[in-house]
Amino acid sequence: MSGPIVALKGVTKTYQQGAIEVHALRGLDLEVQPGEFTALSGPSGSGKSTALNLIGGLDTPTAGGVHVDGHDLGALSRKALSDLRRDRIGFVFQAYNLVPVLTAAENAEMVLALQGVPEKERRQRVVALLDEVGLGGMADRRPDELSGGQQQRVAIARAIASEPAVVLADEPTANVDSATAEMLLDLMQKLNAERGVTFLFSTHDPRVMARAGRIVHLVDGRVERDERRDG
Amino acid sequence: MKFGTIAAMAWRNIWRNRRRTLVTLASMVFGTFLAILMTGMGDATYGKMIDMAARMGNGHVTVQHPMQVQAPAPKRYISGVGALAKQLRADPQVVAALPRISGQMMVAAAGESRGAMVIGIDPTAENEDTLSALGSISEGKLFAADDKRGIVLGADLARHLGVKLGRKVVYTLTDRHGEVFSGLGRVRGLVKTGTSSVDGGLCLLPIDVLRRALGYGPDDATLVAVLAADQRHTHGIAARLRHLENPTRSVLTWHQTMAELAGFIDMKLSGAAFMEGLLMLLIAAGIFNALFVSVMERLPEFGILSAIGWGRGQLFALVMLESLWMALVGLGLSAVVTAWPYWKLSTDGFDLSAKMGEGAEVANMMMDSQFYVRIHPEHLAFIVVAVVIATLTSGLLPAYKAGTVNPVDAIKLV
Ligand SMILES: Nc1ncnc2c1ncn2[C@@H]1O[C@H](COP(=O)(O)OP(=O)(O)OP(=O)(O)O)[C@@H](O)[C@H]1O
Ligand SMILES: [Mg+2]
Repeated sequence: MSGPIVALKGVTKTYQQGAIEVHALRGLDLEVQPGEFTALSGPSGSGKSTALNLIGGLDTPTAGGVHVDGHDLGALSRKALSDLRRDRIGFVFQAYNLVPVLTAAENAEMVLALQGVPEKERRQRVVALLDEVGLGGMADRRPDELSGGQQQRVAIARAIASEPAVVLADEPTANVDSATAEMLLDLMQKLNAERGVTFLFSTHDPRVMARAGRIVHLVDGRVERDERRDG
Repeated sequence: MKFGTIAAMAWRNIWRNRRRTLVTLASMVFGTFLAILMTGMGDATYGKMIDMAARMGNGHVTVQHPMQVQAPAPKRYISGVGALAKQLRADPQVVAALPRISGQMMVAAAGESRGAMVIGIDPTAENEDTLSALGSISEGKLFAADDKRGIVLGADLARHLGVKLGRKVVYTLTDRHGEVFSGLGRVRGLVKTGTSSVDGGLCLLPIDVLRRALGYGPDDATLVAVLAADQRHTHGIAARLRHLENPTRSVLTWHQTMAELAGFIDMKLSGAAFMEGLLMLLIAAGIFNALFVSVMERLPEFGILSAIGWGRGQLFALVMLESLWMALVGLGLSAVVTAWPYWKLSTDGFDLSAKMGEGAEVANMMMDSQFYVRIHPEHLAFIVVAVVIATLTSGLLPAYKAGTVNPVDAIKLV
């Protein structure tokens, strides 16, 4: 199977704010292929978060179709959507990703636990994964014992632990300093190159965009530019 | 995700805001502590009152003519009481079944006369455990079995009549046909209980003497008083004895024969139930507040959990388990905090004489100023269940909020 992992066709999203209609997306067309490392860029309010929420099945479009991993999200029940998120989509948010009362390993294995992977197996997988994201030996630390960058690494480990079709990340580096952002980008690139993890993330930061294999530039809820670079 | 994993996470979550949790637990412990002590004091006090009342003449359960309560009269007696008492004693929860005759009469001496309540008893079958007045004979003693002239009077009654031990009195009553009968009695004993209705108005006569006076046969009596080993068995015993009822005899509980006492206790119990309801509300409000605030603070976290695939039911269960943990920890702490004071108050009791003097008369009984706390196990179980239900109920709305979180809105709060 080698279609696009994410496909948006003519997607609009209109918010009703009192008497005013806010058009967050105005006919967005976008396809993401397996293995891509794509940045969504664009000015504030251009619709990046809205697009990621629709792709992640967290919100529904006003019009148009959203397909993820071959599923038409509009046709799925709430439960099926929840299962699809659990099994096929990884999420990294800007902040508050981790449950503070759980250790790094417990946070990272959360999705595997939801899937019912036996405790021993998931612990093995997650400890190896934490090593891979540069957190060797920190499996038993709580989030408040980790730096902001380390916390984001745990979130990335959790997002990829179940080998999802795509990892969606809304401004994953917005809350860390630029050196940490560089290191997170290094990590995501490495996972993309070595494991073939498909990443779709939004950012404002030109230095982050510079690392992307593809930059989709949104303006006013539409794709203004779609740049591909071979790296 | 396994239930145990969610329960473990819930456990850790309740300790995230240690101070808030401890304050909430403190209010639970306070409420439970008060509920147990209040209920325990009621159980001990009312249990004692009921037993005292039962020993004043009617027993916990009374078998008598159906009309005796509304319209007592000598003609409303029951027959075959010997066999009946034997049947009653066969019940495993019955400790005694005593045929008695109770009624009204006039007692006179040296120109003074007074109305009195008379109880005819079998002196060989009765003692202070079956009739409390027998424990309060301050002078003299109870008439012997072969004493046809013996009479025991309340001490104040004797004083009003101007008679002392060994003196003679004349008693007058109407027999079962409505004829006036007069008899002579010699005062063998005086009763001083501290209760005015007893000291000023009680007479005891041998039951056989009274039978003859009233024109009853040797196997007739006005009632059979049934004493239970435990007053809480009253209704069970009465229900089992129901088959003995017929048009001339009915089975009544102390609730029916001592309506004043029953009313008093019912009023006290509904007051206590109201207080306990308030305490449960206090507990529920404390938990609700703590859980609600903590869920609202954590909405972004619930949003993220929902995004990564937690189901609604799982998020709901997480918060419900948090409230269940609160209930269990709260009950555990309550047990620890309550144990010593409870033990102290159940063995030594506490003295309210500063507040109520040496005793107080309640429903014609002298209540002692020493109070004890002894809760019935079923009431303790009820309180425990009520705390758990109050806690779980207050968890419902917060849990619903967590379960129905909208990830997009919740994460935007970040
Ligand atoms: N719940 C909402 N109600 C009303 N308007 C909304 C809502 N969410 C987003 N919008 C509007 O939709 C537009 C797109 O918002 P969105 O958050 O997708 O932009 P963005 O590109 O992610 O911006 P930023 O770079 O600031 O994160 C904005 O004009 C925003 O104000
Ligand atoms: Mg955004």
